Amino acid sequence: MQEIIIGIGVTALAGALAAVAGAAEDTESNIGSQGDPNSQVQLAPQMGYTHRIYNKAVSGEPPAYTLWVTLACGVAWAFLMMGMNAILAIVLASALATFVQGVYATTAYLGRTASLSKFGQPVFIDVLKSVTSVTMGHAFVAIIATVVICYLIATIIGHPFSLPLLGIVWGLALGAAGSATGNPYYGKERQYQNQKFGAGVPISASGNIVRYAEAGQRSSIDNGFFTSKFGGPASGLCFGLIVFLELWRTILFEDALGGWGAIIAGAVIIVIFLIIDRCVESWARKNYGPYTEA
Amino acid sequence: MSAIAAKPAADAGAFRPVASIIAIILAIVLVVIAYFLGNFNLLPGGGVFAIKTLGLIILGAALIAFGVHFVPVGGAPAAMGQAPGIATGVAMLATGAGLAGLFGGAWAAEFGLAVSLVGGAIGGGLMMAITCLMVNMSYVFGMGIPPASGKVEKDPLTGYTQPEFKSQGTEGHGLPFISYVGGVIGGLLGGLGGTLIYYELLEFYNAALPGAGFIFDFVPLSVGIAGIVAVGMFLVIAVLSAYNITGTIEGPHDPKFKRFPRAIVAAILASAACGLVAMLVVMIL
Repeated sequence: MQEIIIGIGVTALAGALAAVAGAAEDTESNIGSQGDPNSQVQLAPQMGYTHRIYNKAVSGEPPAYTLWVTLACGVAWAFLMMGMNAILAIVLASALATFVQGVYATTAYLGRTASLSKFGQPVFIDVLKSVTSVTMGHAFVAIIATVVICYLIATIIGHPFSLPLLGIVWGLALGAAGSATGNPYYGKERQYQNQKFGAGVPISASGNIVRYAEAGQRSSIDNGFFTSKFGGPASGLCFGLIVFLELWRTILFEDALGGWGAIIAGAVIIVIFLIIDRCVESWARKNYGPYTEA
Repeated sequence: MSAIAAKPAADAGAFRPVASIIAIILAIVLVVIAYFLGNFNLLPGGGVFAIKTLGLIILGAALIAFGVHFVPVGGAPAAMGQAPGIATGVAMLATGAGLAGLFGGAWAAEFGLAVSLVGGAIGGGLMMAITCLMVNMSYVFGMGIPPASGKVEKDPLTGYTQPEFKSQGTEGHGLPFISYVGGVIGGLLGGLGGTLIYYELLEFYNAALPGAGFIFDFVPLSVGIAGIVAVGMFLVIAVLSAYNITGTIEGPHDPKFKRFPRAIVAAILASAACGLVAMLVVMIL
């Protein structure tokens, strides 16, 4: 019984940390402009629209976060093997992984932006100096929260995978959840804020991203401010639900029916989500109605 | 001809029988090599055990390759609401779901093969069910856009008509119900295949390591190697399938879905080669 109570507590904590990690990951990727919407940031100067948006698509978000979280988990694991205090080990390892993220962000911004010089796109050193540290700050929050989740799963819950292997699994899941949920909100809703609300961006408008703010040119940090109101929390909810429900169903029902209890619980949860999705789609069709002929 | 001028051939994605037969023959040769290595005691457990391990690894890889084709992936156009699907890459999303399944499957490995496999499948399916729901929530409640498919007139499951809900100048957006169900099926198959590869490798390493002179607790080592190899093979198969899909796919109703036999053949050969290498690791331990 005590084991289950501790397990539930760890599950709740891991779920909450995952929500923080997901929100920080999405906000980091939007400020740094990583992931699929960055295709428009790269495309804009080629269409004649130079801008001051950060441009650091090191890779897709899932492999990028796999690298950073696994690196932090691996270094933390090495520190722990040396007998270091767990909290100190995790903080130092996450800081180290964040510096690696900063190096990647800097080289990506310089390299990608310099490649656009023939289209007249300048490299803004002040953008590099002001935005890189902000993405690093958000990346640190996302990385340390995920490493703590992996540490809790490896030590208290007792999953057979070692800490670095858990880093690969949950780093990738973090990036996948964050990019899947958060990308459309940054790509469609923020970059194309000048397009109609409630409709996709026409393909003919590609590259014509919003480049000006209330005063002066738009900064990438404002993009993080905007998306942290919906895209970030939605990504946090997505990753939080994945971590929480995966742990919850296993810890509570693993021993029931010779292991089948957790499977049945998982299947029931999937069916519930299917029903919710069906309701959301029907609600949208009913309330938004068909598009009229323009 | 420059790369820009080159246009895809009309039969892009078509099944190629000769190439496929050659790939299958090569895979069979690799399985026979595993059998002889087992028979000569270079691999543990004998020839039949080696064939069983490699055969089930290949089956797991085929399941992954098939599953990837179900996952609705919209890539960059989806991030602007220009195409339906999830706004990230095919390989990464499928791998994310598969690894979530692998996490669950590895956890349940102590309960035996059946519970582990189904547990892995449910883990992958659950990850996709949550992710796909949040994608639709984001489109509907964040951006006021209803889901619409660009590839079919009617959703085969719900019967909802699609063209009038497609905004002007786009190929569709969000995840219609058929795409949602495809995503969950993709997660289920990915988790199942990934766990099968992990489980077979774990059994193989558990049999091999005592013979290699490991007298201490070797289970963490075999779990570690099996986990790393399973993750690596998942990436190999997911990337191969992504090449087959070329960009975006809406799910099982998309015409590109019919390309899956080619990906399965490629996965069989790739997994036979990777699986044999993973088994040969014990020879250098």
